[in-house]
Amino acid sequence: MFRIIKKSLKIGVVTGQYRRAEKPALPIIQEAKDKTKLFKRSLAIREVDTGSCNACEMEMNALLNPVYDAERFGIHIAASPRHADALVVTGPVTVNMERALKDVHKQTPDPKIVIALGDCAIDCGMFKNSYAVTGPVERHIPVDIRIPGCPPRPAEILEALSELRKPTV
Amino acid sequence: MTEARPYDDLLKATFPAIVQGDPVCGESSHFQVPKDLLPAITRYLHTQPNLRGRLTLIWACDHRPVRDAYGLHYLFTLEVSHYWVVLSIELSGNERLFPSITPHIHAAKWYEREIRDMFGLIPQGHPDLRRLVRHEHWPKGMHPLRKEFPWDRVLGRQQGEHHFRRIEGEGVFEVPVGPIHAGIIESGHFRFSVAGEPIMQLELHHFWKHRGVEKLFEQQMLIGAVPLAERVSGDTTVGHSLAYCQAVETLLNLQVPRRARYLRSLFLELERLYNHLGDIGAMCNDTAYALAHAHCGRMKERIMQLNDRLTGSRFLRDVLRVGGVTRDIENRQLTDLVDELNRIQPDFSEVGAIIFANASLTDRLETTGILNEQTAWDHAVMGVVGRASGRDCDLRRDRPFAAYDELPVAVALYRYGDVRARLRVRGDEIHESIRLIREILGKIPDGPVANEPSCSPNPGDWTLSAVEGWRGEILYMVMAGEGGRIHRCKVRDPSFVNWPAIQWAALGNIIPDFPLINKSFNLSYAGNDL
Repeated sequence: MFRIIKKSLKIGVVTGQYRRAEKPALPIIQEAKDKTKLFKRSLAIREVDTGSCNACEMEMNALLNPVYDAERFGIHIAASPRHADALVVTGPVTVNMERALKDVHKQTPDPKIVIALGDCAIDCGMFKNSYAVTGPVERHIPVDIRIPGCPPRPAEILEALSELRKPTV
Repeated sequence: MTEARPYDDLLKATFPAIVQGDPVCGESSHFQVPKDLLPAITRYLHTQPNLRGRLTLIWACDHRPVRDAYGLHYLFTLEVSHYWVVLSIELSGNERLFPSITPHIHAAKWYEREIRDMFGLIPQGHPDLRRLVRHEHWPKGMHPLRKEFPWDRVLGRQQGEHHFRRIEGEGVFEVPVGPIHAGIIESGHFRFSVAGEPIMQLELHHFWKHRGVEKLFEQQMLIGAVPLAERVSGDTTVGHSLAYCQAVETLLNLQVPRRARYLRSLFLELERLYNHLGDIGAMCNDTAYALAHAHCGRMKERIMQLNDRLTGSRFLRDVLRVGGVTRDIENRQLTDLVDELNRIQPDFSEVGAIIFANASLTDRLETTGILNEQTAWDHAVMGVVGRASGRDCDLRRDRPFAAYDELPVAVALYRYGDVRARLRVRGDEIHESIRLIREILGKIPDGPVANEPSCSPNPGDWTLSAVEGWRGEILYMVMAGEGGRIHRCKVRDPSFVNWPAIQWAALGNIIPDFPLINKSFNLSYAGNDL
């Protein structure tokens, strides 16, 4: 046990060792910011995969590693939609996941915000019009924020989330 | 090729009714087989001690509009020589039944159910004809890979319920998990039957994320479908795009420059490196060993940032193209790569030593989720999971591709088949990958990085290509259509084969250990569901 503590001390703090992202590619609307204000400085996120290629999931996971450490901004991942303030949805909505997505949305207590993460969630990306895909996320549930990219870099996700929660003057 | 003759002759002597066709690619034989003889021949191939054919792939193909027939193809890898044998049968006219080989070969189970769903062909004698890809709410008669089915059709919905296998008795209860899980992972459903603590039965209900990838391939040009292949499974971007590119290059008869082949191997090893590092961390995390998880996450992030610096993509996207690679790596960047490796290698060695010396971690990992060698063989399990269960197979050594014919690979092999063995395999492969990358950097020749395709393939030509991705064997079957389009593209991620095996590895373990077992397999849902 002492060895790994010693190792951690030797490595030091790695948080923040990444290239900052520029302003969010898609502007965040005032309405979404107002909705988010209620959550004050914490945000519990439930991630729902409705048919992504799993790259977006990997970048969401990367948010929790010591380099990005999203928890320092009060962002954490809830294990159940019932504990969540925000739903992060990735991937085009497949026919098989359509019901599950609507269920999750229903189970998330109000007030809530929905974040469409990645190109597929925003407009189905490469999978547009496929027989197995029913459409982008906003066809099924109202979407507040869109974070484009295939997949968006963790720095870009963090940037969008902090822009969302920036106090408005 | 000379070695191959004995197998061909042996098969032809045993079954005089089979007809030899043209070899499809590299070291392989191709036979046309009478339909009713298929079970006997596959059984012979699978069980004969001097052949030991491992069922590697089954795919179907709708030949319309060229001719009114369905082709069914069975690919076996002979255990002794890693030689490929393809058996083909054809269903013409209104024939919809084909003999099932599942009663003799377990590994065929999901393939045959998939063919039934996608083509509406019925495997006669299959023990389990429930729907697999089509969930029960799909209307009847929807078989997407038939040529008359429009790719952008709106499906509609019917009432229906999936029936799980039931164990009944006093104290037996079922635990449904998914499709949406507690962590940030993909969607899939697990149904546990439990009495007390141990799992008596685990049944998977997947294909929630079915996006119609194979049908989408058929809408694309041969040259232009690389971005789609990259998105089959995001964490295996290089593996899938490489397998696809190789198949198309064989069809186009296109040579890849030597430097490009080395770069391809380099990218494949980088992909292996970051995924294995992440997996080791995630397995530690599932035993609540958060510090080790943090260290592995940190190292994984370093490699992904390195990928970003080298190619402009953390997942190495848009790096491969048909004929080579899209961008060269400059010498300045190679120095950066070497520096990073020099940092990661001692770093990982230290963390690895700490992890394996940890008694409480070992206690959780040992004897958990054992997949024994016989079960692994029965289900044709390969890749990391196979190598942890004593299945000595690695395409980089057995059927070299990219630059691996010039780069000998030491294959990590463990016998116990428990979670710890899978962790061990990953640890060894990280060291081996780092060694390989160094060797690649030492040997990489100068020269161009891509050749332009010049000819277009004949419609109906098809080929197979195989790549050892970080999970295991990735297979692509690509058949050319009219005007440089794709007629059929069969994608097989290693997850499709290894998922059923997890049902056996979980037996007798307690549910709290299942996340750990699942993580140690770390299979792709997206690559499985397509």
